[in-house]
Amino acid sequence: MKRTLALVSTAALLLAGCGVGGAAGDTAATSFAPELSPDQKVSITLESYNFGQAGAWSDTFTELLGDFQKQHPTITVTGQKPQGSSSNPAADSVSSVQAQLATGNPPDVAQLGFSDLDFAVGQLGAKPLDDLVGRDAVQANFGGAHPFAPKAATLGDLNGKTYGVPFVFSTPVLFLNATLFKQAGLDPAKPPTTWDEVKADALAIAQKTGQDGAYVDCVTQSAKDWCLQSVVRSNGGHVISDDKKTLTYADAPAVGAISMLQDLVTSGASPKLTQQQAVETFGRGDMGMILESSALQGTFAKGAKAGWELQGTGTPAFAGKPVVPTNSGAALFVLSKDPAKQRAAWELIQFLTSDEAYTTISSKIGYIPLRTGLVDPPNSLAAWAAKNPLVKTNIAQLNAMEPWVSFPGTDYLQVRDGMMRAVENVVLQGAPAQATLATAAQQGTPLLTAGG
Amino acid sequence: MLATLAPVEAPPVEAPEAVRSSRPRRLGALVPYLYLLPGLALLAVWVYRPLTQTFQISFVSWNLLPTSPARPVGLANYERLFTLPDFGSALGRTVVLIVGLLPFTIVVPVLVGLLARRVRGRAATIYQGLVFAPLLVAPVAGAAVWQWLLDPRSGAVNQVLGTTVNWLQEPGPAQLAIIVITGWHVLGFAVLVVAAGLAGITDDYAEAAALDGATRSQITRWITLPMLSPTLVFLLLMTVLLAAQWSFPLIDTLTHGGPAGATTNIYYLLWDYGFHSFDAGLGAAAGVIFFVGFGVIAGGLVRLSEKVSFHDR
Repeated sequence: MKRTLALVSTAALLLAGCGVGGAAGDTAATSFAPELSPDQKVSITLESYNFGQAGAWSDTFTELLGDFQKQHPTITVTGQKPQGSSSNPAADSVSSVQAQLATGNPPDVAQLGFSDLDFAVGQLGAKPLDDLVGRDAVQANFGGAHPFAPKAATLGDLNGKTYGVPFVFSTPVLFLNATLFKQAGLDPAKPPTTWDEVKADALAIAQKTGQDGAYVDCVTQSAKDWCLQSVVRSNGGHVISDDKKTLTYADAPAVGAISMLQDLVTSGASPKLTQQQAVETFGRGDMGMILESSALQGTFAKGAKAGWELQGTGTPAFAGKPVVPTNSGAALFVLSKDPAKQRAAWELIQFLTSDEAYTTISSKIGYIPLRTGLVDPPNSLAAWAAKNPLVKTNIAQLNAMEPWVSFPGTDYLQVRDGMMRAVENVVLQGAPAQATLATAAQQGTPLLTAGG
Repeated sequence: MLATLAPVEAPPVEAPEAVRSSRPRRLGALVPYLYLLPGLALLAVWVYRPLTQTFQISFVSWNLLPTSPARPVGLANYERLFTLPDFGSALGRTVVLIVGLLPFTIVVPVLVGLLARRVRGRAATIYQGLVFAPLLVAPVAGAAVWQWLLDPRSGAVNQVLGTTVNWLQEPGPAQLAIIVITGWHVLGFAVLVVAAGLAGITDDYAEAAALDGATRSQITRWITLPMLSPTLVFLLLMTVLLAAQWSFPLIDTLTHGGPAGATTNIYYLLWDYGFHSFDAGLGAAAGVIFFVGFGVIAGGLVRLSEKVSFHDR
């Protein structure tokens, strides 16, 4: 027995000898990535959740990479989707990059959400583009014949440097099924503009047609928190204080907004569905309204071909208060450490944010072009914008938009998930709003400063 | 896990006189250890090293990235686990899951096994194949199909039951759905194990008892079931230790631990901490606690099986 103990403890000592943890942060300043010589062959990888979404998304991106290849024959780009099994591939984008970083082989360019900006820079090692290619070149890319919308251009900036080039972008839109509106005796030409009207119309639809009324896709963990932030801020609240030290989603205005969403469900105006179920139900034509990312326009338009009419309008307001739309969406980040790949990555980013690429992306997927001038006649997207009146709504919201506020620290996902679980519990499961949100905020606050 | 430590102790040690004797003898004494070496090395690399590292990681704050240092935090991870309500409620849900799965892993397989003993020959093979089939369905693919079956509006389940339940979006029904789908998935395996256990019981006892006038139910109660008890304890052990793992792919595909955490069991929580929130320290601390807890339970069950088992030898 003694011998066994000795063996076991020796083994334990041997095994424990291997330390855990990485080397202290890679603090070396990023140096300039020189231009590629004309015959220099480079291969890079682009990781984007758009490759994980079948249909319009992956087709359009494959097409774009093909076009890029023609213009830059020496640069080979491999597109890949995030690793993971989530039904919404965007939800896997950070964890996938993190997993690949842990194995030492991150993608060279990654498309990551704006709420991951802090984490992408601090932990994932996103490179400052200002240092890689020079601030002038970065700013020149935002300019051009049809410059970026001013509110959009700075969304990938942190501490005065541009790390990500904002790429795809959407605001919350209230999609309507005009056919159901008419069946319920409502006028789809006068869509609801306040939450009270949303509730009244939804109840009318539910009672007269037997279908679902209105779903607000802002209340589950998989929806993330961008659209919840819009609803809360439209009621004069915030989910986090300006100094990012206190969670404020249990304060009166936020609780009021979340209670309103709960009331939609308890009154029967809103069905109890998961995000995926709600999107599918609306797509089938079995739901009157859904507050959803404008990026789903293409999906819904396809569903509407089955025999119902799709319309859209802006985010509803709380009576007497201004609407504050927030944005969802993502920027392109360079993660590569190799100068040649960094330069190739910049070429790719320039291409993907060009007039030409936005024309393709907007007309085929439905994202708003960040070069908003493209929709004005006689530019390339004018015809598309005329056919899709929703584009104007979206661009108007873009100009009034407030950025999606990200939670700080390494535990930011736990903070966000804790909040969204509490909201789901209140809205869909009928938990008492004030108490549930206060408990979650109390548990989340210490996490804001936790970690390094 | 506790049982696997035993081989370290197993090889008999040569008496000191023998070791001091001639050279070939000494080499000969080494041979058994050399045979063991590849197996032990693999065990060390794949089991004991990760296990030790888990213990180490549970005392640091780290997000698994090679670029960020692990910061030692002492017992803070454990403190956080025990102060957060998530851990306790996930533990409770795991118990519900295990209890809910017992009918599928023990009760139904025993009934089916006993009834199916009368099926013989090719028919038995076909029928066992049919029962075993769900285990061959990839969990994620199965989950996708179940998702359609459970759809609140057009799903077959609601149409058959005449209900309008949104199975995956209501806390109680979601947990029930996870239990039933997991049960459906592992039922075939359990039936097969029971069938093997029954096949190992010789008919001689039953025939002898029948000669003495025992009825069929008496034979089952007093002869077959006691002789089957090692198999049943094994199935109980498997259910307790693996229930949360069996259900993981289904939870990850169908509910993501929701609605509002109602299907988050301890493994899903561990995974969420470690690989979704990238709080490796918290995940490892949870892992250490489960390891110790399940080790104790497994030890208890192994002792129980030695006590209740009836050995036919």
